[in-house]
Amino acid sequence: MMAPGLLFFFIWHYVPIWEAKMAFEQVRIIPPNIWVGLKNFQQLFSSPIFYQVLANTLIISGMKILFVFPVPIMVALLLNEVRNGKLRGVIQSAIYLPHFLSWVVIAGVFIALLSPTDGAVNQVQQAMGFGTTNYLTNTGTIRWVLVISEIWRSAGWDSLLYLAAIFAIDPALYEAAEMDGASRWQKIWHVTIPGIIPTIATLFILNMGMFLSADLNQVINFQNDVNASAIDILDTYVYRMGLSTGEYALATAAGLFKAVIGMILVVTSHLVSKRLTGKGVW
Amino acid sequence: MTLKKLLLATTAIATLGALAAPAFAQTTIRLVSKDLLTTNPDDVKEIEAIEAALKAQGHDIDIQTIDLPGGTSAYVDALGVMLLSGDIPDIIYFQGGDQKMAEQGILEDLNPWIEKSEHIKAALWPHNVERLANYPYLLYVYPPRAPQPVMRQDWLDQLGLAAPTTVEEYEALFQAIHDADLDGDGTPGNTLGLTGFGNTTELDSVFNQAFGITGTWMKNADGAWVNARVTDAEKAKIEFYARLAEKGLYDREYVTNTFDVKEDKFYTGKAGVIFGSSPEVIDIYAGKMRQAHPGENIELALLPVPSGPGGQGLAAVDVSKEARGWAMSSLSEHKEEAFAVLDFMASKEGQDIDRMGFADVHHTVGADGAVTFTDQISTWYARFFNAANWTPPTALLSPTAQSALDTIKADFTADNAFVWPADYAADVDAAEQVYRSWVARFITGEASLDQWDTFVSEYNAAGGQRMAEYAATVLGD
Repeated sequence: MMAPGLLFFFIWHYVPIWEAKMAFEQVRIIPPNIWVGLKNFQQLFSSPIFYQVLANTLIISGMKILFVFPVPIMVALLLNEVRNGKLRGVIQSAIYLPHFLSWVVIAGVFIALLSPTDGAVNQVQQAMGFGTTNYLTNTGTIRWVLVISEIWRSAGWDSLLYLAAIFAIDPALYEAAEMDGASRWQKIWHVTIPGIIPTIATLFILNMGMFLSADLNQVINFQNDVNASAIDILDTYVYRMGLSTGEYALATAAGLFKAVIGMILVVTSHLVSKRLTGKGVW
Repeated sequence: MTLKKLLLATTAIATLGALAAPAFAQTTIRLVSKDLLTTNPDDVKEIEAIEAALKAQGHDIDIQTIDLPGGTSAYVDALGVMLLSGDIPDIIYFQGGDQKMAEQGILEDLNPWIEKSEHIKAALWPHNVERLANYPYLLYVYPPRAPQPVMRQDWLDQLGLAAPTTVEEYEALFQAIHDADLDGDGTPGNTLGLTGFGNTTELDSVFNQAFGITGTWMKNADGAWVNARVTDAEKAKIEFYARLAEKGLYDREYVTNTFDVKEDKFYTGKAGVIFGSSPEVIDIYAGKMRQAHPGENIELALLPVPSGPGGQGLAAVDVSKEARGWAMSSLSEHKEEAFAVLDFMASKEGQDIDRMGFADVHHTVGADGAVTFTDQISTWYARFFNAANWTPPTALLSPTAQSALDTIKADFTADNAFVWPADYAADVDAAEQVYRSWVARFITGEASLDQWDTFVSEYNAAGGQRMAEYAATVLGD
């Protein structure tokens, strides 16, 4: 029964790994490719903009791990406390919806919302006596726009897994806690959260694997000339240098660099998680 | 015996037929372009019309178009992957990414073909000739892209001003638009003089020369080549843009505007002046403006290229290479036929098809042979070329758009930009990022022009210095 699935992963996920050798080659459309060793990596690392791009990626990914990752957990915990089933259904549907919108649409919504002349946010700011802020061209605020728009888009959808984990907790544990006189907060703290720790650990480890992928689609749609220096990430750099100009070997070198870092982060997080919680991804 | 004879006769006929077949066979060529898809009935019909016309001229060619994802970015990505995988059509339309393919030797040098062409040679624009001399792999027979400013003629009349001819008069016009309540919403002072989108390229088209920016590379006081972007002339131009933005005359949100937002601000009266990227686009703007204001029969006025402290003229045209255009595969087994298609599209008959659409749909032909364009012509666009030597039987452009085209024809100056070797790709990218970022910050007020020297240092450190050193070797003394 597992054969089709394994075959799928073998063909589409493992066979292409072989082509990562392109990172060490000069690609020739008329074969054969020429082996150039680490030249593509040297070109990548010697680019004057590479370290700024890497720093942006680390900062944005770090902000997302810190501020985006916990939100679905909190949403799931809060939803679990809503006792009215209909109300919970409505809230769930409402917060899942943004997940189905593309970043083009979401960026359009945020650009309109944050417009310094007629955007709702700046109008509220002005009504409260503050000046206007161009959040999308301000290098200090644009990363927060990425974080907040990411939360808005994914918090509801990502809370599904945690909600499923919460529903899988043995009700007897809650009953025992009630008999011991636990408050709702104490039940969350001592029953619910420990019950979903394995799910949190697994998702955290998987997120670490994607640490250097700060979401190409999102950044491209929010990027402009002013904020580019603050949100130009590895993926946008690879896209611009690699795909747009046909430097496929350079793009592959950058992709391989990302993959190796991601692999190291996954293994490290797995080992740390094993030690702290006894749970890992394998 | 009879059977034997019959078999022999059949075999002989079959052999003769097989030997003769190539002489009469149809040649199939493969063509890929983002604007020619099998899913678009107009594209299919145009290809059929081209095939029929070629056949009448003795070229029996079956043109098979290859569908790639729409949208410029998706097309460029998909085309690159397709070519990299070894699938190389006979005729390829590039919109970026061609240089890498040319370096790999898969693109044909078009110059020998053009030299012996029947039609293309005469159809080229002056900048095409120079670009082909520098980079012979792409062919894009179109006038140079030179954005020019337009505004509503009735607004200009209401202001009682003559069309501006100097930088100062432009500023005065923007101020007048801003101060008057031309959109009639009862609130003067809420209309932008000028809007744009993304970056300042459109504005640079008419203001570069006015501020003395004569080309990509200029000589400094020491006689050394420097990028125009770090010159005093550039600083003066950016100061002008920043002043317009500070006074509320130029849209400070231009950076986040998309092209449709820019247009929307124009049609809804939130901005008085916008730039049309080509004469055809100016006519599209006029059409959309009339749609937005039915019954008002609004015409657009083309604003002249202003003079300024540094001179006057449209920005110098980059002739280092075509930025987009048609290429032929050097590996094609049907180069003659592939070039015949391109050459035909530059001929009068090819241009008639490509520029005027279909009879009884996009135009009608009267009993006396007079051509009248229908409203449907506004939905038609040329898929191949806009030949310099083709004249429509009836005016295809409005007087405003024609005037824009005349300006482009009369005001051509070649730039001294050149094609960068692949080793400089990272420097060019980094320096471009620094430039665009600082310019936008200067204009939006996030950075002060007092920080100009910081910008110059950052630009040079990001690759500008290395680029200038290389430029000196290319441009010489």
